[in-house]
Amino acid sequence: MLYRFSVLLLALTLPLAAHSADQPVLNVYTHPSFAAEWGPGPGVKEAFEKQCACILNYTVLNSGGDILQRLRLEGASTPADVVLGLDTATMETALQTGLIGEHSRSLEPLDLPIDWDDAHFIPYDWGYFAFVYDTQQLPEPPSSFEELINSPDDLKIIIQDPRTSTPGLGLLLWMHSVYGDKAPAKWEQLNNKILATTQSWSDGYFSLFMNGEAPMILSYSTSPAYHMAVDKTDRYQAVQFEEGHYLQVEVAALVESSKQKTLARSFLDFMLTPEFQEHIPLKNVMYPAIDLGDDLPRVFDRLITPEPTFFLPPAEVAKKRRQLVNDWLDAMTR
Amino acid sequence: MLDVEHLCFRYPEQARGWEYHFSLSPGHCVAIHGASGSGKTTLLNLIAGFLEPDSGQIKWNGTPIQNLKPWNRPVTSVFQEHNLFEHLDVATNIGLGLHPGLKLTSEQKKSINQGLERTGLAGFGTRMPGDLSGGQRQRVALVRAILRRQPLLLLDEPLTGLDSEAKTALRAMLLEEKSRGVALVLASHDEDDRKLLADSYWNL
Amino acid sequence: MRSTPTKAPLSHPGWQLIPGQLLGLALLILVALGLGSMLITAGGLDLSTVLNSRYLRGVVWFTVWQATLSVLLSLALALPIARALARYRCFPGRSALLRVMELSLVLPTIVAVSGIIGVYGRQGWATGLWNEWFPGNGWNLYGLNGILLAHVFFNAPLAARVMLQSLEAVPPSRLRIASQLGLRGWWLWRSVEWPALRPVLPGLSALVFTLCFTSFAIIMTLGGGPKATTLEVAIYQALRFEFDFPQAAVLAVIQLLICGSLWWLVFRQRLQSSLLPNRQLSHGIPLKPWPIQSVLAGFLLLIFSLFLLLPLLAISLRGLPALLAMDTGTSIYEQLLPATGRSLLIALPAGFGAVAASLLILASANKTKHPILKAIPTTTGYLPLIVPPIVLGTGLFLLLRPGLGNHAQGWVLVALINSLMALPFVIQVLRAPLTSVDSHTLRVADQLGILGWYRWRRIYWPLLRRPMALGLAYGIALSMGDFGVIALFGSPGQPTLPVLLYQQLGSYQVSAAAGTGLWLLMLLVGIFGVLSAIGRPPAHQQKNGSPQSLLEPKHA
Repeated sequence: MLYRFSVLLLALTLPLAAHSADQPVLNVYTHPSFAAEWGPGPGVKEAFEKQCACILNYTVLNSGGDILQRLRLEGASTPADVVLGLDTATMETALQTGLIGEHSRSLEPLDLPIDWDDAHFIPYDWGYFAFVYDTQQLPEPPSSFEELINSPDDLKIIIQDPRTSTPGLGLLLWMHSVYGDKAPAKWEQLNNKILATTQSWSDGYFSLFMNGEAPMILSYSTSPAYHMAVDKTDRYQAVQFEEGHYLQVEVAALVESSKQKTLARSFLDFMLTPEFQEHIPLKNVMYPAIDLGDDLPRVFDRLITPEPTFFLPPAEVAKKRRQLVNDWLDAMTR
Repeated sequence: MLDVEHLCFRYPEQARGWEYHFSLSPGHCVAIHGASGSGKTTLLNLIAGFLEPDSGQIKWNGTPIQNLKPWNRPVTSVFQEHNLFEHLDVATNIGLGLHPGLKLTSEQKKSINQGLERTGLAGFGTRMPGDLSGGQRQRVALVRAILRRQPLLLLDEPLTGLDSEAKTALRAMLLEEKSRGVALVLASHDEDDRKLLADSYWNL
Repeated sequence: MRSTPTKAPLSHPGWQLIPGQLLGLALLILVALGLGSMLITAGGLDLSTVLNSRYLRGVVWFTVWQATLSVLLSLALALPIARALARYRCFPGRSALLRVMELSLVLPTIVAVSGIIGVYGRQGWATGLWNEWFPGNGWNLYGLNGILLAHVFFNAPLAARVMLQSLEAVPPSRLRIASQLGLRGWWLWRSVEWPALRPVLPGLSALVFTLCFTSFAIIMTLGGGPKATTLEVAIYQALRFEFDFPQAAVLAVIQLLICGSLWWLVFRQRLQSSLLPNRQLSHGIPLKPWPIQSVLAGFLLLIFSLFLLLPLLAISLRGLPALLAMDTGTSIYEQLLPATGRSLLIALPAGFGAVAASLLILASANKTKHPILKAIPTTTGYLPLIVPPIVLGTGLFLLLRPGLGNHAQGWVLVALINSLMALPFVIQVLRAPLTSVDSHTLRVADQLGILGWYRWRRIYWPLLRRPMALGLAYGIALSMGDFGVIALFGSPGQPTLPVLLYQQLGSYQVSAAAGTGLWLLMLLVGIFGVLSAIGRPPAHQQKNGSPQSLLEPKHA
C-alpha cells in the first residue's frame, strides 16, 4: 500500500525531472503569480519553446525582492539566465548588485505612458496603483486623496506596508509625488482611515478586503478587469483620483553571468511580441507593454484612465526610498 | 566458583565504605543479613556489574569478571521489585531473558510455557505485569531468571512482602536450582530464608 | 554456562552519541555561517544604530511587550482549560477537542487569520452579536487586540495541551490521598496541581514567548500599522528593499540575545526537562468539587471550543463553495491533487526526518554528562525557533553553493529545512517519554543484554509509539502548511499546496484560494486523525486476556 502510494507520488513529480539532455535550458527566476498555471507562465513557455528549440524553466520565488535576494546570495554562480518580475522600485538595487547585464535589444515595440530607454531592464507590463472599492459597501467613493483624507472616520481603507510590499511602496511614492514635503502631514491625517497595513497585497486582498472588512484597498487600476472578465462581476471598481496616479512598470533583465546569453536575449525579444504579450492582460491583469490593438480584451476599455501620471526614475527612488520610509514611520507612529 | 577478593567500594561523598571477601561454590547459597543500608544491595550490584568497585577482584572459575559489562557476566538478578518491563506482557518479559532480540526457537517458547505452568501461572503469558499480584510478578521474574540458565543467581530480598504461600512456592524453585548446581547469593533479613535456603550466612 | 550472549545490532555506545552531535554541530555551523556572513558583509556589529533610533527602540520594546502579554494571556486561559480537562476525563467530544487543540499550532497563518477575521473582524459573526448585545462597545480587532487574540488562538491550545499532560501524569497515589482528604481549591493546587505544573511552566512560557516574539504575518495583518512592528518584520524590511545587511545582522543578534538568554535561564533552572511529560493515565479519581464547579467547567470548555472552532468554521464556509463547485470549466482538483502529492512528497520525508533526528538528538544529549557535549544537541531544540529564517537560509546557501541548480536538490533542501523547523516541536513531544524509562528497567535490560537495536525495539518503541505518532503529525503538518521556507528557497513551476495558495492569492483567485485553504485544513485534520489512530497502543494493552499469542506482539 505504502509502496504503491510512493509510486504514485513519484509519477506526479516525474515531469520535473524529465529534461532531455541535448536541448539548452533557459532558467528564469520569477514570482508566483507569473508562473501559476493560470498565469502567463505556462502559455509563454509553450510559445517560446516552440520557436527556440530549448527548455524554459521557471524558478518561483515569493516576490521581486526575494528574486534579488537569491541572486545576491548566488552571485556570479547563479544558474539564472533571466530575471522576470522586478519593478521600478527594485531596479536600481538590482543594478547595484552588478549581476544584471545590458540587454542591447531594440525597445521599438514598447507602448508605455512614459518614454523608456533603460539599457538593462525591459518592461513587460504596466499599470497604475489605485484604490479598488466595493460598490455595494461604498456606492460613492472619495474621488481624490483630499476627499479621502477628509471623509468621516468610519470609512476604512486597507493599504500595504511600504517596508515589505511593492504596492505599499508605490503608495508612498504616489503620496510623495502628489504632496511633496507635505506628504508626512497628509499621512498623519490619513492614519485613522487605515484599518490595516498588511505585509503583502495578497494578505490584504484575501483576508481583509474580500472578507468585507473595509470597502477600499490599495491595488492596481487593472484589478477590476479581472473581476469583470473572469468573475463576471462589476462589483469591484477602481476609483480615479483627481490628483493623478503613480505608474507601476514590471521589468525583466538579463543576468550578466548567464551562459545562455543568446538564448536569453532572444527571450527578451520574444517578450515584446504579441505571442508573449497576449497572455498579460487577463493572466497577469496588467496592461501589455506593447500595443495589442484589437486583441486587448474589451474590459480594459472600462478601466480608469488616470491623468496626470506620476513616475520617479528608479535611481531617484533608490536615493529617496529610505528617507521616505523613515518619514512615513515617523508620521504613522507619532 | 565465585571468588570475591578484597572488593572495596565507597559511594562518592560518603564516609562509609565496604570491603567484601568471600567464596561461593556451585550448588551453595550464601545469605547476607543486615539492616537496610548495610551494603547488601551494594554487593549484589557490584557482582552484577551495575556498580564499579574501587579495588579488589571478582572471579568466576578463576577468571576476573569485574571488567565485563553487565550483559556479559554469568549472573542473573532478581530484585525485590521492578523486575519486569511494565509495558510488555509476561511471555515477552520472560522471552527477552532468553534472547535480547526475542528471536526464540520453538523449544524456547515451549520452555516459557512450561516454566509458567510449573509456577502455577499457566495461561498468564498474555497478561500485563500491572495486572498481576506481587507474588505472581516475582514468580515471573524467577521463571525468567531460571530459564536464563546462568550459574550464579543474585537475589535481593526476592521474597519480602509476599504471602506465605508464594514464599513456599518460590523457595521450592530456588532449592531446585541449587540442587542443579546454581550458586545463590541471597540478600535477606528473613530468618526463614536463611534457615531453609542458606548453607552459610554472614551479617553486615 | 551460556557462552557470550547474542550481540545486539547497533549496540556500540557511539551509535547513541555521535549522530546527534553531528546534527547539532551542523545546525550550529549553519547559523554561524549565516550570521557570520551577514556580519562580515556588515563589517562589524554596531548596536548603537538600534539604540539611537527611536523607531528601532520602539520595535524592540513592542516585540517584547506583545510577546509578554501573549504569554500571560495564553497561560491564563490554558490553565483553567487544562484543569477542567484533567478533572473531567470523559465527556462527549473530549478527544475531538484535544485533536483541535493539537491542530491550531500547525494551521498556516494566513488561513487561520482569515478565519479569525471572519469571526472577530469588523464584519465577523462574533462582532455582530457583540455589537447587538452591547452597542457601542468599541471592539476593534485591528491593533494589539487582534495580535493578542490571534496569539492566544495559536498558543493557548498548545499550552493547555502541555499542562493537561502534566496534570494527567500526577501519580494516582497522590490523587487518591487528595481525594480522601477532600482537598480542593487552594490546597488541591498547592499539593497536587502546582507541583505537577511547576516543572513545565518555565519551558512552556519560553516556548510561547519565542513563538510570539518571532511572529510576523499575524502582526502585519492584524497589527493595524507600523506601530505594531516586531524585530522579525524589521529584519525582513532591512533585507527586502534595502539590502541593509548591517541593520539585519544587528537586529538578528538582538533577537538571538533576547530569546537565547530566556532559554538559557530556563536551562539553568534545569526545569525544561519535560515539556510534554510521559502519559501515564491515572484513571479518573473523583476529587471533591465546589458546588457548581462542573457547570462552570462545562461552560468554560464550551466557550473555549467555540473560540477554537468558529474560525475553523469560517474557513470551511468560505472554502466550501470552491471545493463543491462543479460547473467552473476546469475543476479545482486538477490543481489541488497534484499539489497535494507534491506537498506530501516534501512533508512526509520532512516529518519522518524530524522524528528520526529528534530521537538521535535526544539520545545523544542523554548519553553524555559532559556539559558541552550535552549542549550541542540540545540547542537544536531551540535555535530553529529563534534564528530568523533568512539567516538560516543565508547560511545554507553559503554551505551548499554552488550547485543548487536542479529542482530535485531544491526539493530535498526544502524538506530538510522544514524538518529542521519542526525539530523544536518534535523534540518537546519526545523528550519526556524518552527520558522517562526508569533506572530499574534499564538495569534489567542491561543484564539481559537488551542493547542497541533490541533495546529500541522492545523498551523504547512501545513507550514512544504514541508520542512519535504525535511528533510525526507535527512534523508533517508544519511542513505541509509552510509558506516561508519554500518561498525563501524558490520552487519549481509546479506548486505545492502552500505555493498554490500563494499563487491563487496573487492572482485574484480568492474563492479558489479559500478552497485551497479549506483543503489544507482538511488534510491537516486527516493527518492528525490517522496518526493518532496509528499511535494508539494495541488493544491487548488496554484489555486483559485477549486471545492472540503475544510472544511476538503486533506493532503497527
